[in-house]
Amino acid sequence: MSPLGALFSRNSWNVFRRDFVAWQKYAASSITINIFDPIAYFLALGFGLGAYLTLGAKGSLLQFMAPGIVGVAALNAATFDACWGAYERLNNNGVYESMVTAPVDPLEIAAGEYLWQGFRAMLYGAIVLAVISIFGLVHSWWALLCLPLLALAGIVFAMPAFAVAMMVKTQEHLFYYFSFVATPMVMIGGVFFPLDKVPHWLLSIAWLTPLYHAVIIFRALVLGTPNVGLLANLAWLLVAMALFVWLPVPFLRNKLAR
Amino acid sequence: MERGVRSVVEARDLTKRYGNVEAVRGINFSIAPQECFGFLGVNGAGKTSTMKMIYCRTTKTSGQLDVFGMDAERHPQAIKRRIGVVTQEHALDPELTVEENVLLYASFFGIGGAAARHKCSELLRMMALEGKASSLIRELSGGMKHRLAIARGLVNDPEMMVLDEPTTGLDPQARLAMWQLLLGLRERGITLVLTTHYMEEAARLCDRLVIMDEGKVLAEGTPRQLIDRFAATDVLEVIGVDFENVRVPLDGLVRRRERHGETTYLYNEDNRALLLRLADAGVDAPQHVARQATLEDVFLNLTGRELTE
Repeated sequence: MSPLGALFSRNSWNVFRRDFVAWQKYAASSITINIFDPIAYFLALGFGLGAYLTLGAKGSLLQFMAPGIVGVAALNAATFDACWGAYERLNNNGVYESMVTAPVDPLEIAAGEYLWQGFRAMLYGAIVLAVISIFGLVHSWWALLCLPLLALAGIVFAMPAFAVAMMVKTQEHLFYYFSFVATPMVMIGGVFFPLDKVPHWLLSIAWLTPLYHAVIIFRALVLGTPNVGLLANLAWLLVAMALFVWLPVPFLRNKLAR
Repeated sequence: MERGVRSVVEARDLTKRYGNVEAVRGINFSIAPQECFGFLGVNGAGKTSTMKMIYCRTTKTSGQLDVFGMDAERHPQAIKRRIGVVTQEHALDPELTVEENVLLYASFFGIGGAAARHKCSELLRMMALEGKASSLIRELSGGMKHRLAIARGLVNDPEMMVLDEPTTGLDPQARLAMWQLLLGLRERGITLVLTTHYMEEAARLCDRLVIMDEGKVLAEGTPRQLIDRFAATDVLEVIGVDFENVRVPLDGLVRRRERHGETTYLYNEDNRALLLRLADAGVDAPQHVARQATLEDVFLNLTGRELTE
């Protein structure tokens, strides 16, 4: 079974369902916590900073940021649970431990978690999408295509985060992932400002992050200006998914075999 | 068990190393269908590591381990389908209710829908947990958690149950109830494999057992055989008498004499006759305990250490 193939195995979906059933008990607080942050940034910067800035042909800062914030919500939703949640499930709650006493392969645990993080990213991203549409910032039905792409982006966001959660020795080390990876990704991912005037080295780093590609796609769909160039961004995400998919599995296998 | 007879678990020169630590050092045992087989030893004796290899959580370092005639390393999923596992910490999901815990576990065996719900309510009834179906794990008592872990392990109608310290942490009453439960499972024809560091538990539950210490099997047999071989029928514990300096003709009566601290253990076949002989010889033994030999004595004789923590 390959990790991508595991996405279709029955037990991967049972792992997904476990997370879903557990999540239902605290869904309201989880959603609030995960989307309040990006929406607060969006409103403060969009209305506050946006009052002083115009982006020329790119329109208002508020309009520019809106689809970016959808991407940030997806990133938060996937990363938080892939880090803290999965760390708990591996080390403190015995959730994975009980799964491997049943005929569940660690690969299916990883795949089930990817599916779950993809779902979270889609749901939380969709809620933010609904919020920005209330502000009249969604201009096309193409925006509906964001939903499956949010799930794909969420899966890609989750993979390295989940790998780190399976690797670290203490929970405190997860902060490194947020400080060195997740937060900088938001800063340079083309969320808050266009990247066409940043130095080339910074743009190169941005290009290496999944958020950069996801936000480009979301922005085009929200504005109703899809183009063939987006297929390159989509391809980037698919390749990243294929590359990252193995990453956590050896660590997970190792920890569970102790 | 004799070679050639079909066994459920068969281990030959089985070893397990974690880094530089050799947890299991070349052990042999075989477990027969429908028996209750125990691993007795102190913490760190290698019992849990052996369990983990049997239920395919971890792989051996060397040697051979077959479960249901299948190589445990090559067929873990096929083996897991036929066994029930109760780990030491139970690994009950704290974010799910009692019922959700059982249903999730059932789903991993492909049991879903009405069949799973039916099985779940049957198991919860059997474990006297039917009123707790929608409780969270933290709302359960220690005994209830133990029972839930067993209910979950039974969801796939296993041929063999592997239980790592099934009564540790239980109060005496709950422990007694757990023994009844386990004996009931054995009566239903389920092979039981368990670890324990309680002598009494091993004596009461196990048809056969091995005594493990520092990764090795020191002895194997039925509780009675082990007591006969490594202890005696009776034990007279005499406190405060130095038998080195006392001339009493005990040869015919005492099979073995051990001294641990202030206490001398006289392993013999008949405490009453021994006490009479001591009285005749004028040995004053004001502090003594006369009792039957137990597995505790076997362990003490084999390792020179006491089992109880």
